[in-house]
Amino acid sequence: MTIPYHLTKTEKESQLLAKLNDLTKWHIENSPEYKAMLEKSSAKEVANCLEEVPHLPVQLFKLMDLKSIPQENVVKVLTSSGTTGQQVSKIYLDKDTSVTQTKTLVEVMKPILGNKRLPMIILDTKSVLKDRKSFSARGAGILGFSNFGRKHFYALNDDMTLDVEGLQSYLKEYAGQRILLFGFTFMIWQYIYKESLKQEIKLDFGDSILIHGGGWKKLKDEAVDTQEFNQLLHQQLGIREIHNYYGMVEQVGSIFVECSHGYLHTPSYADVIIRNPITFEPVPFGEQGLIQVLSELPKSYPGHSLLTEDLGTILGEDDCSCGWKGKYFNVAGRIPKAELRGCSDTFQGGGVG
Amino acid sequence: MKLFWPQNGEFEVVLKKLGNQQLLSPFDDEVVRFTQSLSKRLLQYRQIPEIVALGFWLRKTNVQSMKENWETEKSGKVIKARGTVFHIAPSNVDTIFVYSWMLSLLAGNRNIIRISSKEKSNPLLDAIILELSRPEFEKIANMTIICTYSYEEKATKILSSICHTRVVWGGDTTVQTIRQIPLASMANELVFPDRFSLAAFSSEVVLTLDEENLEQLLEQFYNDVFWFDQMACSSPRLVVWSGEKIAQAKTRFWKAFERKVYGKRYELMAANQVLKYSTSLWLSVNKEVSQINNKTYFSRIQLTDFSPEVRERHCGGGVFFEYHVNKLIDIASIIIDKDQTLAYFGYEKEELIELVQKIPTRGLDRVVPIGQALNFDGVWDGQSFINSFTREVTIL
Repeated sequence: MTIPYHLTKTEKESQLLAKLNDLTKWHIENSPEYKAMLEKSSAKEVANCLEEVPHLPVQLFKLMDLKSIPQENVVKVLTSSGTTGQQVSKIYLDKDTSVTQTKTLVEVMKPILGNKRLPMIILDTKSVLKDRKSFSARGAGILGFSNFGRKHFYALNDDMTLDVEGLQSYLKEYAGQRILLFGFTFMIWQYIYKESLKQEIKLDFGDSILIHGGGWKKLKDEAVDTQEFNQLLHQQLGIREIHNYYGMVEQVGSIFVECSHGYLHTPSYADVIIRNPITFEPVPFGEQGLIQVLSELPKSYPGHSLLTEDLGTILGEDDCSCGWKGKYFNVAGRIPKAELRGCSDTFQGGGVG
Repeated sequence: MKLFWPQNGEFEVVLKKLGNQQLLSPFDDEVVRFTQSLSKRLLQYRQIPEIVALGFWLRKTNVQSMKENWETEKSGKVIKARGTVFHIAPSNVDTIFVYSWMLSLLAGNRNIIRISSKEKSNPLLDAIILELSRPEFEKIANMTIICTYSYEEKATKILSSICHTRVVWGGDTTVQTIRQIPLASMANELVFPDRFSLAAFSSEVVLTLDEENLEQLLEQFYNDVFWFDQMACSSPRLVVWSGEKIAQAKTRFWKAFERKVYGKRYELMAANQVLKYSTSLWLSVNKEVSQINNKTYFSRIQLTDFSPEVRERHCGGGVFFEYHVNKLIDIASIIIDKDQTLAYFGYEKEELIELVQKIPTRGLDRVVPIGQALNFDGVWDGQSFINSFTREVTIL
């Protein structure tokens, strides 16, 4: 039995459903916006199964501020990563939600990382952590995962160049020990892997374990998939164990990490449902669709049931050969952008020179 | 800078050559023949309804009647083309630039058209180039430039300084940006900013329709809404219901409309589904929204009042605001400057005239039956193209 991947479908569903229904009720009572949305869309306020729990589109957090706590209780604001000019999501956390988030992350990762704090290399720059009250997705991720390690070393300088010397002496110092590596998929690819390849720096991270997340969107153009990513990182950097995770700032508590067989798993306090991207109806296992994420954590803002813009497939439940229970799934990427034609924006499409 | 027409040559050289071309008389024979020829070619694109609509607009009888109206109106007057007309076309309602170009050409002008660059193939542009390449249309070919260039380039500045009329399609931002660029002192300007459009139905009349007539109404409403994914200025976004049988009429209408859209196999895209869903929830927080209803093919948002802010949040692709009134004339108070087209069903002409007279704002430039919302007309946003593209010489 591996906590928190121990509950079977029936056990989990009844526990989670009760908690999610409580959250729906809590948010109706504490967020007038959420209340209006549910009432005016005639949504079911008490669900009889997980599929019935009302969901909000993740995009909504980019359009408006949603919270179920008074402003003075806000201790942390998480923001989604977004390219310049794009609207970002703002997620408001109070002390309780923030503490539970940290605790949950520890539990989710424990089966992979164990109890001991490992020497840790963060494959990013330290500068993303500058503002302590408002965190970008990258900053929040780093801060959250930092708890698993000690002697933190940041592999990138502020100008995004690789700190080769620092890295080599760190690796030398901890040679023979298991090292935890953490970073964002694209950053690792662009600034660690490609740079070391270009500069012909051969590194050996030894007995290390890499945890990475943040999405494959930017790597899509280079047609790199998980297998290739893992293989190349092994070749160039000697990283032997790699676990991708899937999660988003908009839903605290939903960290789905890859098991030893390479599938993302739902822990006991979170779940996923796959829906038809056009009708939003749930689809059977094995069919690709929009990922809906459920989590019992979001209490400070109405984010316990969210419809994402990511596509994924559930491969099964409770029967993954790795031994963990829960649904196991994979993520195929983001749905293509909407391109509706209109009279406006003559110049926005840009022109050829 | 990329030139689509002429197909070869340096921009500066081509521009100079264009400036040397003689202007034509309004409704010149070669131009009329060109419109006929282009019309025939465009009518073959059966799978692209908006191109067929353009071809239909250019058909012989329509151009002939435009000519006759023009001659009647201007009889005894001396009218000349203005000179060089610079058209900035919108990025995505691809056919619009042809309407404004054709009217300018019929007026006798030289034309420079900046279209949006597209990587995708553009069947309309291909058709135009084929026609321009024919030897019998050499005169027209020589007085036409079709190009694209990026916003950073100086081309807009150069073209604005040499043209006699500037036509700007493309929404508020584009209009404001282009207006910063000085226009030749003698030039006039037509601008087409963002607009908002609505439809109105008499609930009583909708309920009297037999199945066949209802079907026809739905077909026309479908075209008005979905041809440009509800993103054209004239696509109805607000649906007004009047009368005393609104609830019944709505039930009947929307049920049948859902079947219609389904039958049309309108292509739904995941991103747009999510966008409609997010937009409706976002709007539901507003006081003036009483109810939202998300269906696969469209979302409906019930309103108790109608503010400019709500208009701005519309995302296209099948979202209907709905608003109830006792009598059509009651909408006079909600119409703002931005409102362009009212597509109607079930009203007498007197009621429509009465409504237009009562509107205190700049709103409403077109009041047309359902099914004609997107029909382009020589008078647009309250101004006549052909008048703006010509000038009258007074001889005493």
